[in-house]
Amino acid sequence: MLTAFEKSQKGQRSYSLPKEDSAWTNYHPPHNLLRETPPPLPEISEIDLTRHFSQLARRNMGIDTNFYPLGSCTMKLNPRVNEWCASLPSFQRSHPLAPSDTVQGNLYVIYHLLQLLCQITGMHTGSLSPNAGAQGELTGIKMIAAFHAHNNDSGRNEMLVPDNAHGTNPATAAMVGYKIIVLHTTPDGDIDLEQLRSLAGPKTAGLMLTNPNTLGLFSSKILEIANIVHSAGGLLYYDGANLNAILEIARPGQMGFDVMHLNLHKTFSTPHGGGGPGSGPVLCNEKLSPFLPLPLIHKSNDSFLPVPSSPLSIGRIASFFGNFAIYLRAYLYSILHGRYGLRRIAENAVLNANYLKKLLGNLFTDPYPQHFCMHEFVLQADKFPNIKALDIAKRLLDYNFHAPTIYFPLIIKECLLIEPTESESKNTLDSFLSAVLAIHTECTQNPELLKNAPLLQPVSRLNEVQAARHPKLTTFH
Amino acid sequence: MDFISNSSHQQKEMLRIIGVSSIDELFKSIPSAILQSSIALDDGLSESEGMQKMEAIAAMNTYPAFDSYLGGGAYEHHVPAIVGAICAKSEFLTAYTPYQPEVSQGMLQVIFEFQSVICALTGMYAGNASLYDGASACAEAALMALRVQTPKRKLLISASLHPSYKDVIRQYAEFAASEIIEIPFNDSLTIDESQYESLLDDKTAAVIIQSPNVFGCIENTPLLFEKAHANDSLAVQCGNPLAYGIFHSPSHAKADIAVGDCQPLGLPLNFGGPYVGYITCTQELLRQLPGRIVGETVDTEGRRGFVLTLQAREQHIRREKATSNVCTNQALAALASLVAILWYGKTGLPKLALTNYQRAAYLRHSLAKLPHFTVINNDSSFNEFVITSSKPIDTVLKHFRQAGIIAGFPLKEWFPSMENSLLLCATEMKSKSQLDRYVEVASQC
Repeated sequence: MLTAFEKSQKGQRSYSLPKEDSAWTNYHPPHNLLRETPPPLPEISEIDLTRHFSQLARRNMGIDTNFYPLGSCTMKLNPRVNEWCASLPSFQRSHPLAPSDTVQGNLYVIYHLLQLLCQITGMHTGSLSPNAGAQGELTGIKMIAAFHAHNNDSGRNEMLVPDNAHGTNPATAAMVGYKIIVLHTTPDGDIDLEQLRSLAGPKTAGLMLTNPNTLGLFSSKILEIANIVHSAGGLLYYDGANLNAILEIARPGQMGFDVMHLNLHKTFSTPHGGGGPGSGPVLCNEKLSPFLPLPLIHKSNDSFLPVPSSPLSIGRIASFFGNFAIYLRAYLYSILHGRYGLRRIAENAVLNANYLKKLLGNLFTDPYPQHFCMHEFVLQADKFPNIKALDIAKRLLDYNFHAPTIYFPLIIKECLLIEPTESESKNTLDSFLSAVLAIHTECTQNPELLKNAPLLQPVSRLNEVQAARHPKLTTFH
Repeated sequence: MDFISNSSHQQKEMLRIIGVSSIDELFKSIPSAILQSSIALDDGLSESEGMQKMEAIAAMNTYPAFDSYLGGGAYEHHVPAIVGAICAKSEFLTAYTPYQPEVSQGMLQVIFEFQSVICALTGMYAGNASLYDGASACAEAALMALRVQTPKRKLLISASLHPSYKDVIRQYAEFAASEIIEIPFNDSLTIDESQYESLLDDKTAAVIIQSPNVFGCIENTPLLFEKAHANDSLAVQCGNPLAYGIFHSPSHAKADIAVGDCQPLGLPLNFGGPYVGYITCTQELLRQLPGRIVGETVDTEGRRGFVLTLQAREQHIRREKATSNVCTNQALAALASLVAILWYGKTGLPKLALTNYQRAAYLRHSLAKLPHFTVINNDSSFNEFVITSSKPIDTVLKHFRQAGIIAGFPLKEWFPSMENSLLLCATEMKSKSQLDRYVEVASQC
């Protein structure tokens, strides 16, 4: 499809500007600072612009249009009442540097959302300001580093990370200067306690863990794991990406975690928007609370005040208060549910995942048939010698389903990671099962179909090698 | 309320197929010591109750009733109506990172076009839509420079860079940089060139300069960057992309990396977020860019299509050796910015930038005539500037508040020595009568 640049027609325009006034048109910037030619942007009318983006939207799949069982991404319904709330003018038009007495509504939301998240996670306190899960991780790991530094415990330069962890975990720990020590997963899908015991020691700064893990399994050994790490003087970091499975069922605080982040766009239904904006609040126990990032919001006599400094804080992680408009959505979503409603989320997410696991486990290899899964599960698509997980994913697109996550976690061969979420019904899951069953039949009867899939989309398989070898990244080169 | 689709009948049927009698059995791997007991029906709200509650909270904000002149990294601009309409399209709103390009061509092309318009404004070679805000963009630029400049470990950052951006650079680069030094500014609120020269040395990996800077002044980046390059240091320019509608782009000053925040173009204030940072660089530095990049390619039929590319740099593949931990596309915010930039277009964007310049200039010149205010910035300031009052700034602010005006940001909060100074901003949203009234209220101080 043509780009907006290619649709440009000289002399067309969409914009309007307030009328000029001679009072200010007399003012001109110094000539030597001005660019010689206007920026090479398109000229395009509003109707053409509207159609351009409408056409692009039709070439995109979202949750509202298709089932999206993308593992570890929690693609649940984005209720429209959230969007209504975020568009209220009093919120949208407020400036982050406004005097705090004029933005009490905003500060109320920040304060109370944090309280809610602490209750849900069993943590003591926290900060909403990290702008995404990965930034929340950076904040949490920096807090761990600050804690050890504060205790003059300078020899702790290693971070333990399981081999099934999200890629952000090792990348984040490396940014804070840690050496990554990889923990191998046992055939049972859990941490190897013997290996953990042998690796945890005076160099251990901490362990980064998500529970349930990315194989979809809850670690029954979690209290023992926490004990081993704490006994070695390390701290436990919880990656909250998979929290949807345990809302009001179990709390990271009670599992022994010291610090964690949440992904509001996942668990709390704020729109993923093609990859973002997200929001990654960081929560911690009392031990780590002095190191939280700024600003902190204090409450006194029913009024809220941002506190710009704190002696041991790691400092700012974002320009202002973080992604405030995301908090609005997450806060409304939480208060609509109440505690019982939140528990129903976890119950139905886990029910849906186990239902699919049970019925799909017969078609492909289920590496952990002995376990119930949590909100997601892995399958190995390795039964057919010439068919890859990629081929199955591409063929699913033709059946109008978004594909599961593929080739992650890296430790599962030809991995499909499937997460249906709680908002889907049995009927939708049954349609998905029918499609996978049909594709399974095609694997033996017409494998070429899979190799060439997708056949019914705006484009067929794209040449990723060419894109990387000869990068064309803008319309100009 | 909740958003569960399964009926109790469906739940029972699914449990039967799984082979358990209750949902609770599915959680048996959780140790009983940490398992919460089941909760009785309780306190959720109906949709209408939730909406009433949020309206009541919104009504606690009195800020929107004031005429405000705040800037300082977040700006009051018109957001074209088309922006909200396009961003509300569910295919964009409810999609995720385009891992399956064949069904994500819409969002991939949006990001490709965003990369293109940002490069059009900055003049740089390549960019992406992955960074959270201007502050994280600056910080990632610092890390990028430190990666290519090994073993140089020192960063020079201008003292006239937004204080929060400085904080976030320190936050990100703490373990990668040996030292981070601020280049002082002079009385005209731009970089002191002689001090800059004395700070540049063979350990300097990069210089990071904001222009227009936190006070709204255009810095002499061509000269500053020439000296940086002569010292084999990389040059990073942070700047408001709207300013590049009329002012020279970072590529004119031969910047190696250009970063900033796109909030002024299409994103509401939203109390500070979400915004979208931009990061762009020269062709030489392409493989050091953090985050996701979209590239053009062809499908098996030779049709044009777009994919995520150069992924070998990224955290999901390289893990601890990745260029960054960035996992996001700030795609929806980038879409908003793209639509606004295209709506203004080649002729509108320069006019919008000029309008911003002129309204601030009108206010600045008008205030300069008042006896108890001194205007600091000269004619090179973009849409914000600094005034100093001969009276205590708190008295001045209170006086304006009584007249229904938030006069600006008291700079002593960021720069303690600037005791009675105010940073104020006027955009295209301010009418002549508003600006005249500001001057009138100021004259009565």
